[in-house]
Amino acid sequence: MFKEIFLFEIKYRLKRPATWSYFGILLIFGLIVSIGGNGPASEKVFVNSPVAIATMLSTISIFGIMLSSAIMGVPVYRDIEHKTENYYFSYPISEKGYLLGRFFGSMSVLFMVSLGLQIGLVIGFAIGPFAGYEEPERFTVFNLWHYIQPTLMLYWTNFFFAGCIFFALVSLTKKVMLAYAGGAILFITYLITLTLTQDIENKDLVSLLDPFGLGTFQNIIEYWTPEEQNSLTVPFKGMLIWNRIIWVGLGLLAFLFTLFRFDFQRFLNKNYKSKKKNDNLDDSNNNVAAALTKIPSVSKIFSKSLNVKLLFSLAVMEFKNITRDNFFIAILIAAVLFLFFDAWFGFPIYGTPSLPLTNYMLEVKDFTYVILIFILIVFMTGEVMHRERNVHYNQIFGSLPLPNRLVYGSKFLALVMISFVLINMILVSGIINQIIKGYFNFELEKYFTDLYLIEFPKYIIFVLLAFFVHSIVTKKFIGHVIAIAIWVLLFGLNSLADVNNNLYLYSYAPGYTLSDMNGFGHFAEALFWFRTYWLACGGVLLVIGYLFWKRGTDSGRKARWQIAKERLNIRTISALAILFVIFIGSGIFINYNTKTLNNYITVKQGTIGRANYEKQLSKYDKIAQPKVIDVKINADLIPEKRTAKIKVLYKMVNKSNEVIDSLHLNWGAEGLLKKEVNTFTIEGVAPKLGKRYNDFGYEIYAFEKPLQPNDTISMTLEVTGSYKGFPNEGSGSTIVYNGTFLNNSFFPSFGYDAQGELTSDQDRKKYDLPIKDYQLPEQTDEWGVNNLLFNDDADYVTFEGTVSTAPNQIAIMPGYLQKEWEENGRKYYTYKMEGELDFFYNISSAEYEVHKEVWTGKSGEKVNIEIFHHPTHTYNIDRFVKGVKHSMDYFSENYGPYQYRQIRILEFPRYSTFAQSFPNTVPFAESFGWVGDFSDPNDLDYVYTVTAHEVAHQWWGHQVTPSATRGSNQISESMAEYSSLMVMKKEYGVDAMQNFLKEELDRYLRSRANESKFEKTLLDNDNQAYVWYRKGGLILYALQDLIGEDELNKAFKAYMEAARFRPKAPFTTTVEWYDYMKSATPDSLQYYLEDSFEKITLYSNKVTEASYKKVAGDKYEVTIEVESLKNYFDGNGKLLATGDKANLLEIAIFDNDIKNEQGMKIKSPLVLEKVWVKSGKSTFTYLTEKLPIKAGIDPYNKMIDRIPDDNLITLEEILD
Amino acid sequence: MELKIKNLNKTYSNGVQALKDVSLNIPQGMFGLLGPNGAGKSSLMRTLATLQQADSGTAMLGDLDILKDKAEVRKILGYLPQEFGVYPKVSSYNMLNHIASLKGISNKGERKDLVESLLNKTNLWHVRNKSLGTYSGGMKQRFGIAQALIGDPKLIIVDEPTAGLDPAERNRFHNLLCEIGENTIVILSTHIVDDISNLCNNMAIICLGEVVVKGNPNDLTEGIKGRIWTKAIEKDELANYQSDLQVISTHLKAGKTVIHVLSDNQPDASFEAIAADLEDVYFTEITSRMDATLA
Repeated sequence: MFKEIFLFEIKYRLKRPATWSYFGILLIFGLIVSIGGNGPASEKVFVNSPVAIATMLSTISIFGIMLSSAIMGVPVYRDIEHKTENYYFSYPISEKGYLLGRFFGSMSVLFMVSLGLQIGLVIGFAIGPFAGYEEPERFTVFNLWHYIQPTLMLYWTNFFFAGCIFFALVSLTKKVMLAYAGGAILFITYLITLTLTQDIENKDLVSLLDPFGLGTFQNIIEYWTPEEQNSLTVPFKGMLIWNRIIWVGLGLLAFLFTLFRFDFQRFLNKNYKSKKKNDNLDDSNNNVAAALTKIPSVSKIFSKSLNVKLLFSLAVMEFKNITRDNFFIAILIAAVLFLFFDAWFGFPIYGTPSLPLTNYMLEVKDFTYVILIFILIVFMTGEVMHRERNVHYNQIFGSLPLPNRLVYGSKFLALVMISFVLINMILVSGIINQIIKGYFNFELEKYFTDLYLIEFPKYIIFVLLAFFVHSIVTKKFIGHVIAIAIWVLLFGLNSLADVNNNLYLYSYAPGYTLSDMNGFGHFAEALFWFRTYWLACGGVLLVIGYLFWKRGTDSGRKARWQIAKERLNIRTISALAILFVIFIGSGIFINYNTKTLNNYITVKQGTIGRANYEKQLSKYDKIAQPKVIDVKINADLIPEKRTAKIKVLYKMVNKSNEVIDSLHLNWGAEGLLKKEVNTFTIEGVAPKLGKRYNDFGYEIYAFEKPLQPNDTISMTLEVTGSYKGFPNEGSGSTIVYNGTFLNNSFFPSFGYDAQGELTSDQDRKKYDLPIKDYQLPEQTDEWGVNNLLFNDDADYVTFEGTVSTAPNQIAIMPGYLQKEWEENGRKYYTYKMEGELDFFYNISSAEYEVHKEVWTGKSGEKVNIEIFHHPTHTYNIDRFVKGVKHSMDYFSENYGPYQYRQIRILEFPRYSTFAQSFPNTVPFAESFGWVGDFSDPNDLDYVYTVTAHEVAHQWWGHQVTPSATRGSNQISESMAEYSSLMVMKKEYGVDAMQNFLKEELDRYLRSRANESKFEKTLLDNDNQAYVWYRKGGLILYALQDLIGEDELNKAFKAYMEAARFRPKAPFTTTVEWYDYMKSATPDSLQYYLEDSFEKITLYSNKVTEASYKKVAGDKYEVTIEVESLKNYFDGNGKLLATGDKANLLEIAIFDNDIKNEQGMKIKSPLVLEKVWVKSGKSTFTYLTEKLPIKAGIDPYNKMIDRIPDDNLITLEEILD
Repeated sequence: MELKIKNLNKTYSNGVQALKDVSLNIPQGMFGLLGPNGAGKSSLMRTLATLQQADSGTAMLGDLDILKDKAEVRKILGYLPQEFGVYPKVSSYNMLNHIASLKGISNKGERKDLVESLLNKTNLWHVRNKSLGTYSGGMKQRFGIAQALIGDPKLIIVDEPTAGLDPAERNRFHNLLCEIGENTIVILSTHIVDDISNLCNNMAIICLGEVVVKGNPNDLTEGIKGRIWTKAIEKDELANYQSDLQVISTHLKAGKTVIHVLSDNQPDASFEAIAADLEDVYFTEITSRMDATLA
């Protein structure tokens, strides 16, 4: 009996077009993904590497929830739907046979359908190398096992799990809606586990709880290098086994429960229960009055006003129908939960949450919510358009004397009302979040503006599309599929195929950012036009939909054309014409703004442009140019108009040994900020343009008299910078109404700049450029040591200038404020720098409030600390101040004096998120620290640590400014990171440092796994941020730990003295820096320097076993068995050799964690000592006074260790 | 006012020709449409009820072009489709009230009176506040009738309205229709020949999309008067009779097969003359055509 039902189920399914369409969708999807090569992040990983295949399979299996619910939700429901249950169950079949047959039949179909993806991938990867979308080198040979293994381990198990749940839900409740709702709940579970991943302490929890095992899988491979990703399959062990057992087990349990619980009678009885009501209705025919009743005559009015009234009453009724729909409620709850959780967990920086500002509460609407809203709108539009047909009321309704436009309009209006409800959910969720978190600055005007004026029209644009599709397509399900497919297509074009012109992507508009400082800024105009454009487009669709909208029963093509022709009257034609004119007109206007005014180019054109830049101009690379030695500035900022008129007077010297005959001005390709040269003179004379490369903004001017070595000339350049119209994308945030932040790149640099070149090996190959391994020349290179890293247009300069701005703003430039006055309704500020600074300055202006403090050094020197902040952003000012003061303390003592008498921290709008160090000025983005929520002491106080890092740059970067050679970035960045770690160590204590070191280690390991070229060493690295920050910081921290903090700092101080403000070339390189470290390091530890700076070295340290027993005298004897291994890798992550010598490592035994002064959880060591640990296994024994809890090797994660988590384990007690 | 249908044609997109050159004149009063399943009755009625397009032809109600001026037609139309559904969670009172407002009855008091009288008339008064989803088949049908009568329609189209009604309800409904049919056009389709002969002054028989016969039922019956003969035969003899004579219908009576034969003269002595009724008219017209398509 099982066999018959099973086979019938499979045969039945195989004949259903839906089965094949699911299969086809997966197949096509697989083909697109594999041929397009939109795979892994790193270019060095094959697009069909085992890890890439496994990632794709498990990611798709999450979206496969839909497929699982579609296939596994219906096998039992089918009998209800088609009303076959009443007789089907009367056949001589058993419940178990029925259920098992249906279950396994459907599950087999599900598995078979799901294989469409693999087949698509296999075919696609075979075609891929020849299709030309991806370089043929990125495809590796076919290996069947690479598909089978993840299919069994992740893909099918996920389908099985989800399928069991849906089958059980529907079989037990008879409600197919639950299959959808269940899908939403499952998805939410998944997303909640995702939010947990933000904290690396939760890794194991995530590994267990992720229902799809994707997180588990990613935790295993996160540190895998390209080499490993290309050759290994993910091992089925550890957490992955447990994860699979939990979730497959849960699915199985649900199925077994169903199997034993399911009962035909109960299944049918539920029906009877609801039908009983029918029988109870007293259908007596004895009403004699009926025959005698007269039907009164009535008056009928068909007027415009009545129509309007009916329009609204029908819309309200439809609205009520939607809101009563359980499916709507389920999805809405899910969507709002997302909204809430996204806002709740949203916007952490380094794992530390931010305050629930209204900006943040609003921004979450674009996370998951908008996806669910779109789906909801499509589904609800389908329901509304099919409302009468669904209950077979369409014939009666269709013949009612309601004008078409009234019926159609009321349905549209109902969805607009629904959209309005959806919009307000954002408001409600945001305010509830803020209240719960104790934040009461609601800023309703921001909510209203953003939601009602910007977001609401977007939802209506969604409705218009869905409405159109469901009007044209009369089959509801196909309508859903088409509407969602359109959206997926748009998304795919945009994010995968690099089509980013918002003019061609329905409903798209330029992104905008809400800022506390700059409010809605200058984005309104672009948004207005794009919304108008798409609303008009949607309106055209709405009218076309109206023409073809089906009223009545006739869905033949001929009949619908006939109807369309009938409905094409003066009213519809003029509506179409007006909307079309608005659509085209606004489109032309937008195109004029984005393309004509703002030079929109496609991603590909941009890449080609960069390739051409190099091809045509690299001949000017490293040519001799004069160097600026003095800067005088006169800047007039007009933030109200987003305009700045700035005049510089440069004094320049030919510091080279060559005669320089021309000045090369490199403006760069035209950007959003339009620059107009008002004056340009050299020595008071306007120079003659020799050549101009228009595409790249590169100009060559011949000197009237060639510049001999050591000649000095002056140059005056006045430029007006402003914005025109609006761009397709981009914030144009250099000059804004409040929070202008511009730097010396406002002016052209001199000569060719290699920064503009293509870096990706793949792109370079594609455009016939030689692969470039390094951006910078070797440490011995003549040009390299003669130029400074950050700017080769000058060495150190002197600086003064005047800046004017709006009367309510404060403008800031480098140097000390000399004068401040008001004139012609503008505020003026004159600044003058004492001494020299590297050629890197910023000009800022905003409505600031200033917080002032003074730091006093040991020898009585005073430094003014000034914090320029947005008036309401006072939350963390004390943290900035503390960071500055502690940094000044540590650095002035250990590296030498601070070069200025002031340090200023500035806030700038959140169009980007970073902090940067200029000489005596450190700008911090609005969202970076100012509004962080540091109430939990265990969260990283990144305001403090980043401040320390940036202040350290005043020494490492602005005093010691390294040469333009390989590795130089380490001298500024690794040293700043090290300095920051040392300030933290002093503040939080050495036992708190693991919290930070582990974070650094994790980032380093993850980033190197995604390296797209090859990892470089600390001495040579010229462009890998993760090496200079993460590895550099860790290595230097461990170095001071090994050789002593004072020893190392003494060496750094000596280096600082030798290299600071070096007046002329050769400027410092890593060779010099490294020499100081070598001389401070004893011979026994030189190996560490070599391993760390010259090679890529990774440890595999772990505790294999650790136990204690109580011994005489209330003491504890602890035995620790450790395994230590040190491996050397090449830059691609390929194992080169294994170290055989002993290494100096820390072995430790801990009590329970304790809290430090700041309330942060820290380690409490009972034993902590450095021991020479040999390669392989070793055993150590210690006696402790107190009860030991944990033991470990390198427990603070100072060494670079592939698996940092197994360094520390809990001790087991051995009883005699 | 008279409804004039001329040369109406309709072919569905699957190739089925539902209406073939249908021309009918329907005067005030009850008009019956008779025909086998799939004959095109519902297609014709849906077309008249503005729910379906015609490929060609015209239908004029007085000066009103039904095929073009749908909006006007709907204002005077009462339509009960063959199959229809209801919103399961709404009560019949509220639903009728709602439909009344959609039919332009904007005066609340009038609407209330009308709905109440219709509920009484269709014997739904006692269940007026129960939601429609709980109604039995017959009650639902009565609700359908009630909604069709809202708003004083001038053209009432009812597609198999008495299906699912018990005999008492059926009678009551017929009375109701007659009452209304005095000064409106009522088009009624059915399989039940008796309904037509009892109710209608005019009728048409439709088969395979064509109007095969039209007129007054009595006149039509008159037309075959004296040409219908009957005989009780053995079941296995049927084939013989069918090949020799024009057998228009067979039915069972007390275990024996009784055949009706159309013939101008008595076929043989074993046949008896029988008074022709409308059913014989129906079978006379239908059987040969249906056989032709089956052959």
